[in-house]
Amino acid sequence: MPWQTQDFAASSGPTRVRESPLGLAVRRILRKRSSRVAFFVLGVILLVGLLAPILAPYNPAAQPDIVFGKSLSPSFAHPFGTDPYSRDVLSRVIYGARLSLMIGVLATIVSLTFGVAYGAVAGYAGGALDAVMMRVLDAFLSIPRLLLLIGVLAAWPQLSVAALVLFLGLTGWFGLSRIVRGQVLALKHAEFVTAAQALGASRRRILWRHLLPNLVSPIVVAATLGVAHVIVLEAGLSYLGIGVQEPLASWGNIIRDGADQVATLWWMSLFPGLFMVLTVMTLNILAEALSEAHERR
Amino acid sequence: MIVAIVAVITFVLIHLAPGDPFSGVMDNPNVSEAVRQTLRAQYGFDRPLPEQFVKYVSALAHGELGWSFSHERPVREVLATALPNTLLLMAVALVGSFTLGILIALVQVARRGSATDHALSGISLLFISMPDFWLALLTLLAFAYWLPLFPVGGTIDPVMHEYKGFVGRIVDRLWHLALPALTLTALASAAVARYQRAALLDVLPADYIRTARLKGLSEREILRRHALRNALLPIITMIGLSFPALLTGTFFVEKIFSWQGMGYAVVNAIASRDYQLVMGGVIIGSIMVTLGSLLADLLYALADPRLRGQ
Repeated sequence: MPWQTQDFAASSGPTRVRESPLGLAVRRILRKRSSRVAFFVLGVILLVGLLAPILAPYNPAAQPDIVFGKSLSPSFAHPFGTDPYSRDVLSRVIYGARLSLMIGVLATIVSLTFGVAYGAVAGYAGGALDAVMMRVLDAFLSIPRLLLLIGVLAAWPQLSVAALVLFLGLTGWFGLSRIVRGQVLALKHAEFVTAAQALGASRRRILWRHLLPNLVSPIVVAATLGVAHVIVLEAGLSYLGIGVQEPLASWGNIIRDGADQVATLWWMSLFPGLFMVLTVMTLNILAEALSEAHERR
Repeated sequence: MIVAIVAVITFVLIHLAPGDPFSGVMDNPNVSEAVRQTLRAQYGFDRPLPEQFVKYVSALAHGELGWSFSHERPVREVLATALPNTLLLMAVALVGSFTLGILIALVQVARRGSATDHALSGISLLFISMPDFWLALLTLLAFAYWLPLFPVGGTIDPVMHEYKGFVGRIVDRLWHLALPALTLTALASAAVARYQRAALLDVLPADYIRTARLKGLSEREILRRHALRNALLPIITMIGLSFPALLTGTFFVEKIFSWQGMGYAVVNAIASRDYQLVMGGVIIGSIMVTLGSLLADLLYALADPRLRGQ
């Protein structure tokens, strides 16, 4: 059959574009139906968050009728009902998607920066420095992240979103840096590193140009899980009243607004939670598919 | 070492926090400046920081966690009365989730690749992706309001408990325990099932499984007697790992079902700005998690004959 030879020529010929490991991984996971669905659903939620000002039917903070417009059950005018302050819950859920996703991504970027730097330095340096850095990490890892955050955030009530992102990011890099350290340690004496050293490459160049590109897959998996984790954590903290502050809407604090009267205001717990579970689940599916793709390589 | 770092972190936090640790009293305009000064002196907040730190650490070492303003009792007492309820809830959820989780994993591996396997994997994934407090709220809504099978909250029936006999009191307590324990169990067993399924699948290609199969043992016997035993070691590790998730889960679940445990006390303390009680809960929680992973290590050594000799 002619296409076989063509395919062979295309894949081995000099014209073939070199694909990045990440692009390859993405293409590989998209072969699975479950991850295609997850990719699509996540894309829709992301789009909802990005287009929040266009999509939201009402102003999420507006309290149009505090007497007769409050605590309305779902209807055509308010598909997700209204809250005890007469705000439209659908609009708040849409804006909540924007904020919760943004916090998830930004906090994970903070975690990645710290985790990769710390792990790479510890793994590459080795010896006493590595030992000390790992013991400190053990201590941090032994405190549950939520407890650490409760301790910090209860001390500073009414924090800004930027500070919240910072704290969520600063408490999320311990596990990742251990993974990075392990990988660096394993690859440190690989032949391509020795070759680079022999060519006179500096330590920084070896770390950045030779070691880190090999860590892209585990880092992407950790980041995907990290975003999911931060979304749940932020919701939990907002539910406790020490996360995102009113009048800003996040999935967690919408649920908080209705939690005391959950029997009558069930729509305030159900709908934001559904969005959250959908987001976290798609992220988990993608992370699993990514790590499978990585292992098969 | 770990407790020491926790102590340092909490001390730094308390002193970086704006205002006094008991700003609830301090911000009250009816409290005069003179009273404030006396209070500060009484609690030693006018001393230099290093001295305060030494005092703080030695107090911690003696089990003193400070004064709870909202309960008007020492933090230690508040937490000591709440802890048994938390431990009961965690113990029931731990036993329940590991039993259920291992069973689910066994069913999945026995029919690996089938529709049942996929469906159970999907359900586990769904539960893993659920925030604790959301599932707790939905459970409350479903089984206490829509289908009023269980009480809405609390640890015991506030009116009838006194009039019940010994058995009646136990039944009453279990009745109240059911929903919070069920929520935590559902969340934790999903994680256990996923982990255990992977552990079992890891063991199946091993030589001794093939030997057992060649001996003519049924697939069920192989799973039960050979694979499960060897896949139990990772489960012990999992107990240590699931401890933090279980503990933080109790914070939300206790709050939503008004189960009077440590999490309930701490979450309410956040709202009433009782910072000493919050920090006390954080410290005790971290110690519990550390002890939990220590216990898992010991169990591991006990269960693995290869480690026993060392």
